[in-house]
Amino acid sequence: MNMRALTIAALLGSFVAAGGLVTSCVDLQKIPGDCQVNAAIACGMSAVLAGDKTATVSDEDLGLVGYSCTGELRPDDDGHFVQGVPFGSICGDMTPVPPDGQGPPTTRDYCCTAPDAQANCVLNRNRTEACPEGYAYQCWGPNRPEVNNPAVTCGNGLREGDYVNYCCQHAPRPTGCTQAKGATTCMGGLIGWVCPTTPVEFRPRGEDFGANESRADYYYFVCDVPTRAPNGRDNVYCCFSPSPVLPGGSCTYSPGSANADNGIACATGKFAFACYGRDRPDEDYFPRISCKDSGIAGTSDTGYAATLYCCDYVAPGQGSGAGTDPNE
Amino acid sequence: MKQRLPLFSSLPGIASAGWLFALVGCHTSNDDIAAWQYVCGDEAPLPTEDVPAGTGQRCGEADSAAGLLPPEPYVGDGRGWPPANPPEACILKASRVTPPDGQVLPEPLLKTKEEEKTVLDTVRIQTALDTCELTKLVADGDNNAFLASRLAINGGTCDVDATRPGACVTCDGGKPCGKRLWIDKGVTLFMSRNTDLFQRTGNCGALGVNDSSACWEFLNIRGAKPELIGEGTIDGQGGEPGVGKDYSWWQASYALRAVNGSIGQPNMINLEKGTRQFVLYRLTLHNSAKFHVKLTSSPMDGIGPGVCDNKADRGKGFIVWGITLLTPSKWFNSAGYQLTPSWARNTDGVDPGTTDIAYCGTIACNVISTGDDQIAVKGGHWVENLSIAHNAFGTGHGMSIGSETYGSHYDAITMVTHRGVQKMDVWDLTIDADSRLVGHEAHAADFNGIRIKSDESRGGVVDQITYTDVCLRDMVNGILISTAYNPLFAGQAYPDFGVLKFKNVRGVNCHALSPSTITMEGFNATLRPDITLDNVQFDNINPTLSVASEYAAIHLGPGAVNFGDNLTRFPGVTVEDNRDGTVAPRECKFPTLPTQHAPDGWLH
Repeated sequence: MNMRALTIAALLGSFVAAGGLVTSCVDLQKIPGDCQVNAAIACGMSAVLAGDKTATVSDEDLGLVGYSCTGELRPDDDGHFVQGVPFGSICGDMTPVPPDGQGPPTTRDYCCTAPDAQANCVLNRNRTEACPEGYAYQCWGPNRPEVNNPAVTCGNGLREGDYVNYCCQHAPRPTGCTQAKGATTCMGGLIGWVCPTTPVEFRPRGEDFGANESRADYYYFVCDVPTRAPNGRDNVYCCFSPSPVLPGGSCTYSPGSANADNGIACATGKFAFACYGRDRPDEDYFPRISCKDSGIAGTSDTGYAATLYCCDYVAPGQGSGAGTDPNE
Repeated sequence: MKQRLPLFSSLPGIASAGWLFALVGCHTSNDDIAAWQYVCGDEAPLPTEDVPAGTGQRCGEADSAAGLLPPEPYVGDGRGWPPANPPEACILKASRVTPPDGQVLPEPLLKTKEEEKTVLDTVRIQTALDTCELTKLVADGDNNAFLASRLAINGGTCDVDATRPGACVTCDGGKPCGKRLWIDKGVTLFMSRNTDLFQRTGNCGALGVNDSSACWEFLNIRGAKPELIGEGTIDGQGGEPGVGKDYSWWQASYALRAVNGSIGQPNMINLEKGTRQFVLYRLTLHNSAKFHVKLTSSPMDGIGPGVCDNKADRGKGFIVWGITLLTPSKWFNSAGYQLTPSWARNTDGVDPGTTDIAYCGTIACNVISTGDDQIAVKGGHWVENLSIAHNAFGTGHGMSIGSETYGSHYDAITMVTHRGVQKMDVWDLTIDADSRLVGHEAHAADFNGIRIKSDESRGGVVDQITYTDVCLRDMVNGILISTAYNPLFAGQAYPDFGVLKFKNVRGVNCHALSPSTITMEGFNATLRPDITLDNVQFDNINPTLSVASEYAAIHLGPGAVNFGDNLTRFPGVTVEDNRDGTVAPRECKFPTLPTQHAPDGWLH
């Protein structure tokens, strides 16, 4: 079946069913390419399965369909919203990495959910840049993409109202940072992490705790400017999980803002923040941040004009920052 | 498609209507809602009632006789209740007076750590626990309170026995195992409000810091045959301001609710790895700063084949019997803050498998009302052969398994790896959301009956679980089997739910404004639970709007299931329908549960 035709049919059908309350994530006319069902793709072998990973699972068991696409079009460009609820296919990109010296492949292979089994997720091309290792989905409520399609794995979600944004890819996610209990010199109250710098510069994430910690306890991290590990390859971070920024607080953790281009270069061990208003980080990040300098004008990680600070973490017993009791 | 019905359901009346709860009766004659069926009233005896033994009316007695439960400690195991008094040196007399409601037990800020020896009762209690097989805390005239910081009950370190690998016969070089703390009737052991005395990482008692291991625990239990017994009370004072502070443990915890964070507070009773044959009997537990009972324990005989084949054996590992857990226990603290269950965040009742394995245990004849899960079987460590019988729950987040279910335990003797939560039987359980006000902060998702929760970051095996003879009143989520407890978390530890059986389960309404919802969700097309529903009926349920399912093999019958039609409309759901409609709904009676004493002039 021609995937573009299928997509358009699905959109039209939904449009009629929803009485017009349909919006599309992308303009399909601007995505060149074509997708065709390809039964030769063994999607059952592609799945990242729990339990007995050697068990034979058929394509039928998983309800997956193989596609080959030309151009930039993906089979899961069929996403749409009905009364705010996303519907769409989820596809794992199975295209092998070409050998060195060869250009990008002219066709790409996908394992996708069947057209009649759409998930409450849509491919979100607007967030492609946020997922340099894969592709972005936006899902509704508790739906994660890999539940519907075990050929993909996704990272921790990021809430956006009723939706959750995910970065996904085929095959397990690459190993990121490792918690370094006792192997770092982080001061009391900070959690040490060792992070690879290749193929990309990893930063600690809540999911890096793995299954041995309840990540509800440590989901949000603020990390210092790292030091280089003795092996010369890894970065060592010291991080803490802050209390929520107070209502009205205008300072955000902004590690990317602390570079020479911005006129500010935080030293290793410092914590970089960007403030948009009159607040200072030690007012918003109770109680363990101390910023001695007045800050300088610059640009935050998100590109807005801000006042940039390099701050210190105040260890327990060394007094607190200038913050106030968030309960008051 | 995972459903969001539970999150969108409205609160029962107790949460959303506040005062209305106190004023509204049972609307059996209201024409507008006449189609609804109401079951109000409190008609059953408390499982903790001290009915004479031998009458067949004492909680658990019949089941013990039938081999379904182990004998009740002391009363049924031949030791007799109460135990004989220990030597005089092991009987400690109280030197403080339990304060009346609205006041707090005085506690000065210590200027030096040395002062703890003279100001608190910690040292004299610990000295007795270290030297006496049985330590008894008693009243002395009007004095009826003890105040202590960290205490340890060490039953003894098992001697290695080459002839019985894994078994524990003697302790500490040939001595008998076992240490007991007995808190006498009318006596309260208070946990100190001085956060410095529980300092572990530097963050204990600090506001706004996400550090779940910041504090040491209050009562640390370890070794072989430790016991906590008596008709007295342990009070964690979680709602009272810390010494030298203007906020309580619960206030510090609540400040992190927005980020789902967990501040480090002391747990009330913490069983350490390697504990064997623990007994918690009759005590009343109030106001823990965090979890009340973190339970890990296994039999003296080890965990090998034959140790725990029968339900009557499920007591060899641990027994929690006849306790009354009420948190919060007061309407107001000494600073005038109203205390509600939802304010008492992270105050789980009894949590098997939290620290290490929990094998071969019984939790029976208890009354539990708290601010978080009444029982949470934490499968972060292997839990197997567990009986949960004849319990009456009030407020709380449910009879729960999870969210951690990834437990894995390699037994070097049998060379078998055990996983998750397996062979757990729950029977004769009531959960009554109407027992008291929960507070306006409560979420709809806080009113849960039976809950099995996990997600792909912490999933594992949950198998051979049965729920029989269960009555639920005014639950938002009557049955909640969820593999997306927190969809934000990533991982490849996928929830693998197996055989789950529900028989003679009924949900009723009294004050609730909406019926219960039922959620039965496996993880994906290859990880589907096998769910049997036999006479499972929820009054007033809308089988179309209030039921959600996906990826599950569901077996219906022979008893009626009044939400069982057309379940195949859900993705990945297959149904085997054996209903014959002959079984009537379970008759539900709920005991009057203890609540905090309301101020004069307040209705309840």
